[in-house]
Amino acid sequence: MSDVGTVLSTIISGMLLGGMLALTALGLSIVLGVMRLVNLAHGDFLVVGAYAGLFFLKFTGVDPLLGLPVIALFVAALVVPLYGLLLAPLGERGAEAQMMTMFAVSIILENVFVLAFSADTRSIERDYATLPLTLGSVTVPLIYVIGFAIAVSLILAVHWLISKTRFGRDLRASAADAQAAETLGVDVKRVQMATFALGAACAGVGGTLIGAAFQFGPSSGAAYLLNSLAIVVLGGLGNVLGTLVGGLMLGFLQSLGGLTLGDGYRDLVGMALFLLVLAFRPDGFLARRRS
Amino acid sequence: MGNLKGIFRAGAIAAGASMALGLGAARADEIVVGASLPLSGALAGFGSFQQWGYKRAVDEVNKAGGISIGGTRQMVKLIIRDDKTDPNATASNTETLISRDKVVAMLGSCTPALVNAGALVAERAKKPMVTGCDPLEVFMSVRKWNYVWDIFFSVPELAAAQFKALADLGVQTNKKIAIWHDNGPDGQAVGGKIWPALAKEFGYEVVQNAEFPVDNTQFTSIIAEAKSKGAEVVLGDAITPQAIAIRKQMASAGYTPKILNIEKGAEPVQFAEALGKISDGIFVGGYWDPSFPYPGAADLAKAFESETKLTSSQHIADSYAAAQVLLDAIKAAGSTDPEKINAAIAKTDKTYVVGPVKFDENHTAKLPIVSLQWQGGKTVIVWPKSAKTGELLFPLP
Repeated sequence: MSDVGTVLSTIISGMLLGGMLALTALGLSIVLGVMRLVNLAHGDFLVVGAYAGLFFLKFTGVDPLLGLPVIALFVAALVVPLYGLLLAPLGERGAEAQMMTMFAVSIILENVFVLAFSADTRSIERDYATLPLTLGSVTVPLIYVIGFAIAVSLILAVHWLISKTRFGRDLRASAADAQAAETLGVDVKRVQMATFALGAACAGVGGTLIGAAFQFGPSSGAAYLLNSLAIVVLGGLGNVLGTLVGGLMLGFLQSLGGLTLGDGYRDLVGMALFLLVLAFRPDGFLARRRS
Repeated sequence: MGNLKGIFRAGAIAAGASMALGLGAARADEIVVGASLPLSGALAGFGSFQQWGYKRAVDEVNKAGGISIGGTRQMVKLIIRDDKTDPNATASNTETLISRDKVVAMLGSCTPALVNAGALVAERAKKPMVTGCDPLEVFMSVRKWNYVWDIFFSVPELAAAQFKALADLGVQTNKKIAIWHDNGPDGQAVGGKIWPALAKEFGYEVVQNAEFPVDNTQFTSIIAEAKSKGAEVVLGDAITPQAIAIRKQMASAGYTPKILNIEKGAEPVQFAEALGKISDGIFVGGYWDPSFPYPGAADLAKAFESETKLTSSQHIADSYAAAQVLLDAIKAAGSTDPEKINAAIAKTDKTYVVGPVKFDENHTAKLPIVSLQWQGGKTVIVWPKSAKTGELLFPLP
């Protein structure tokens, strides 16, 4: 039986990590909400962000956390042509065609990563990524706290962007009924492109945080895509703050799974929860409080 | 969806890999040998070294004019297919090497899951295969082999090396051990059975024995438990991405045991490159080092480092030796008949870059074991004392 310190450390660490992962999930969620697209390359956008953070540090010597705005812009700029060349022309053919396109993009990206960076496992080496933060009997990784703070700030910023700005109004209108929004003068394709870029930027920033906290390689994206899907379902599709709650909830429950069944069963707990929510509350736990 | 994605992805990558490697039909004047290797995926760190070792051995033979088959000199063509660290892909690659590429013999992949998957196909097709990178007892446990030969270390010897090293080096700990191992065949054998038994024999108390899936990424609970139980010795068995995750998460959880040994995953240089200075002091069992007194050992590492500008790994040695054993056997057989090649492999009795190679009745040849420790991005031998190339770093910084 684990002692109180171990239990609290594990659960708090799990929730901080869940909050950190919610940022990546948010990118998936807004793209899903506005474009009805399950972006199967979203995990690979996260890996792009991780490599971007690694090489940003290598070539500039500047801490990648300070370079997060640059990395976000870089990843966003990288995916804009993808939208224009691959997704926009398929807009009339339904989400399936776009989803399969992103599936192909995912495969291509993984192979590009191998060719460009080798298949080696990498990690962004920073002192703060390996330091513990201790408060009484509770110890959590400092990088989780930093990542959580950045993720929550950005999630709140996206929430403000969506709920208080003109772009946000257009985004919400496009998500609710693209045809009606277009009739009322909203440039839906432009909104979709911006949303796609914003989603990729969220993944990119999340990728840099993951790259510092953990390790990554060319094929790391798939696992984070699955986690993001679970968070989106838990929090409710298109619900920005729900995504954060979904992340915290997944982190909490995965930690409980880790404590009771062992760390190897964290994903099992997450996926079981994912299926249960899909079956009983398909709109997510916070479906009524959509932002 | 995940499965569908995996299937499409494996297919596309296999197709891409085939095109990238420029595979073509065998010519009548070529001796075709093949291998399926993890050039991508979690074990890519091993695969790239093996590829270099295999290619070097083949290149050397070709530079010397090839091999005489029935009085005619023939060049050796090596075909390598990427299995993306997937045993299913290893099996299908091996089928393809036999049926489409018409190989006369093969070289193995890396780690038991991949090697055994390909070896079973080779055995069924009665095509000889020489491999390294498959611990002998795990290899032997699969079946009685007739066409597959393994040059590697003995699991009990490797597992015992750390205990013997700690005893010989006289390091002081509280004798509490945490064992963390993956659920792969070798992880279960070493971490689940051999280490607990050895711990008892050497007077240690096992305060934790945790098993996790091979691709696990979160070790928070495992680490917190070991820390709370005061384990000063941690023995781990995990592949490289997990080994990196374990070390990073230990550091960020504020857990620093006095001894940290991670088998398998702490071998490749990418382990130390990803971790930087927190790789210092980590132990890993080794079966080869350029300082070993065998012909060509130092030159092999130098050749690798000058060609690739990378730090060498012990995997260049067992792969190079496995390829040399196979090529020597083809030479001795003077034929591309698989039965004759297989018979010639059985007669191998020569000292290679890894030491003397002579197969026993189980088709295994055992390599000696040393204890390596990462120091400043490189490994040094710290045990046995007769082979040591550096001073022990204790406790773990």
